[in-house]
Amino acid sequence: MIKKIYLIGNPNVGKSVVFSRLTGVQVISSNYPGTTIELCKGYLSLGAEKIEIVDLPGTYSLEPTSKAEEAAISLLKEYSKDEIVVVNVLDSTNLERNLLLTLQLIEDGFPTIVCLNMCDDAVHKGVHIDIKTLEDILHVPVISTCAITGAGIKLLIERIKEAAPVPRDKLLHEEQWKEIGLIINRVQRLEHRHHTFREALEDASVRPVTGLVMAAGVIYASFKIVRFIGEFIINRITDPIFINLYQPILEKLTRHWQEQSFLFHLLIGDLINGKIDFKQSLGVLTTAPYIEFGMVLPYIISFYFILSLLEDIGYLPRLAILLDNLLHRLGLHGFAIIPMLLGFGCNVPGILATRTLESKRERFIAATLISIGVPCVPLQAMIFGLLGSFGGFYVAGVYLVLFSLVLILGLILNRVLKGYSPEFLLEIPPYRFPPLDILGRKLYFRIKGFIIEAVPIVLVGVAVINILIYFNVFSIISGFFAPVIHDLLGLPKESIIALVIGFFRKDVAVGMLMPLGLTAKQLFIAATLLAISFPCVATFIILWKELGLKDLIKSTLIMITISIIVGSALNLLILR
Amino acid sequence: MKKMSLIKLKANRKGRIVEILGGSNLQSRLMNMGVFKGKEISKLSHVGLRGPVVIKSGRSILALGHGVAAKVILETE
Repeated sequence: MIKKIYLIGNPNVGKSVVFSRLTGVQVISSNYPGTTIELCKGYLSLGAEKIEIVDLPGTYSLEPTSKAEEAAISLLKEYSKDEIVVVNVLDSTNLERNLLLTLQLIEDGFPTIVCLNMCDDAVHKGVHIDIKTLEDILHVPVISTCAITGAGIKLLIERIKEAAPVPRDKLLHEEQWKEIGLIINRVQRLEHRHHTFREALEDASVRPVTGLVMAAGVIYASFKIVRFIGEFIINRITDPIFINLYQPILEKLTRHWQEQSFLFHLLIGDLINGKIDFKQSLGVLTTAPYIEFGMVLPYIISFYFILSLLEDIGYLPRLAILLDNLLHRLGLHGFAIIPMLLGFGCNVPGILATRTLESKRERFIAATLISIGVPCVPLQAMIFGLLGSFGGFYVAGVYLVLFSLVLILGLILNRVLKGYSPEFLLEIPPYRFPPLDILGRKLYFRIKGFIIEAVPIVLVGVAVINILIYFNVFSIISGFFAPVIHDLLGLPKESIIALVIGFFRKDVAVGMLMPLGLTAKQLFIAATLLAISFPCVATFIILWKELGLKDLIKSTLIMITISIIVGSALNLLILR
Repeated sequence: MKKMSLIKLKANRKGRIVEILGGSNLQSRLMNMGVFKGKEISKLSHVGLRGPVVIKSGRSILALGHGVAAKVILETE
């Protein structure tokens, strides 16, 4: 009786794609080691039974060398060996390195079935594996699959029940590698291939000069494309829908309503020059949906499209190599660039991804830097929408301030905090070109996640704000904070409301600034403060979970101190 | 036969690992990734002065931080 099936394998062999195929549960997969940070569970129907499948984070060996590996391996021991099946997923293009874990699993007596994934890639690269012989040597079922297209998955399911423990002598590490060498000689045949264009690109991207040129090109192009797609969606799709379709309907429906009534105030907000202004009216049916769907969503789509593309191609680990030197000075190493890039979408997955960093110290530095210096897409989209009209200079200014902050704060934290940063050791995957449907599914998954998480909070948030404004609660708060806000930061006292709202959602907070008629300088300071001050509540909870209460407080104190220093410094330094 | 650390090895050259200095955790991490005493590896590139070293070991491409690379001792022809 099988109680559980575990998917285990080296990092970046496509376990998550196999998992999605077996269970129908969509999970995020990418082309770099360590995408899966949380356990994913799903069910596989095997005849009449429904068996739970667990997708374990990647591990090179059964002897753990990091926390993530330790967690994966300890789970394997939850059930007794006759109640589980271990599906060992391997990368066919790199059989040698993958076989270490396979040998260990079999030696330890786990009922194992071997899944040689990425078989299409292997054929492409001239790697031929004799599956029959491999089966004879290992005495366990071996199935060749290509999870991305689904080939071989059916056979894998059919043969899961054949997995059974087989006797095999335990070897020492060195002997295991020797044994693997012998196995490889018998089962693998390499066709001689000339250097392909793809391999030339792979090489060029990790060499100092060509690598930096490519990195600059990729970053510049990504930025341009994100803006281009975002603006295209706004100008050609969402704005026409809101202005030509939605606005007339709203105006017709509310024609006979009293403008001063509570309901009108709540749902529509204030009329600007006698008309609904989606940016300034601040109603639950006007500004709230416009912020989410008309200003933020277009950039969510374009940002995640580019990020997903870079992830699946396998470019990010190469960026990590090039930035290792710089990040080392901030107490991190190159891999930390990946959580940071994820943080540009939303800080929550970014901070979750810091789990792949080894030490607590590194995780603290990375999480703090992300919550201070990495603005999420909703915030960035609003900054573009608001500050952009005063000129790109101001927008660039916000990024410059944030970037300098990350550098300075990182240098300081690296000096002040005890301990040292562990060394960089990362496997660099080959470039892969993902099929469009896989990319599309990942994009859809992320956009759906955004809509489910953001939209309800924004609608409720705007409703609560309107109620508080209607009953004059905010004027009491803003009067109280006026000295700090006005004298130190040079902002009108009403903007405290926006800064407080920033704790719930950054995009709504910037939206609150829109009707205040701020000058470019004031907007610049307010937007920068929103980026660096308190993280939003979702990030706050994740920080708590990942860092613990003590480090959360430390991190928060750093944020508040920095916001006040930076805010007043900007107020003093900028003249107009 | 010359002995040198991975840092001193020129890019695009091969060498056989004769020793890995450093703690047992580093040794086993490298061992798990297929980098161990006796293995022949080639160096692809070295990023910057104190940046990581990129090597090819078997069919894997690995990036080793500067400090790790300094601990991998090779012999070359």
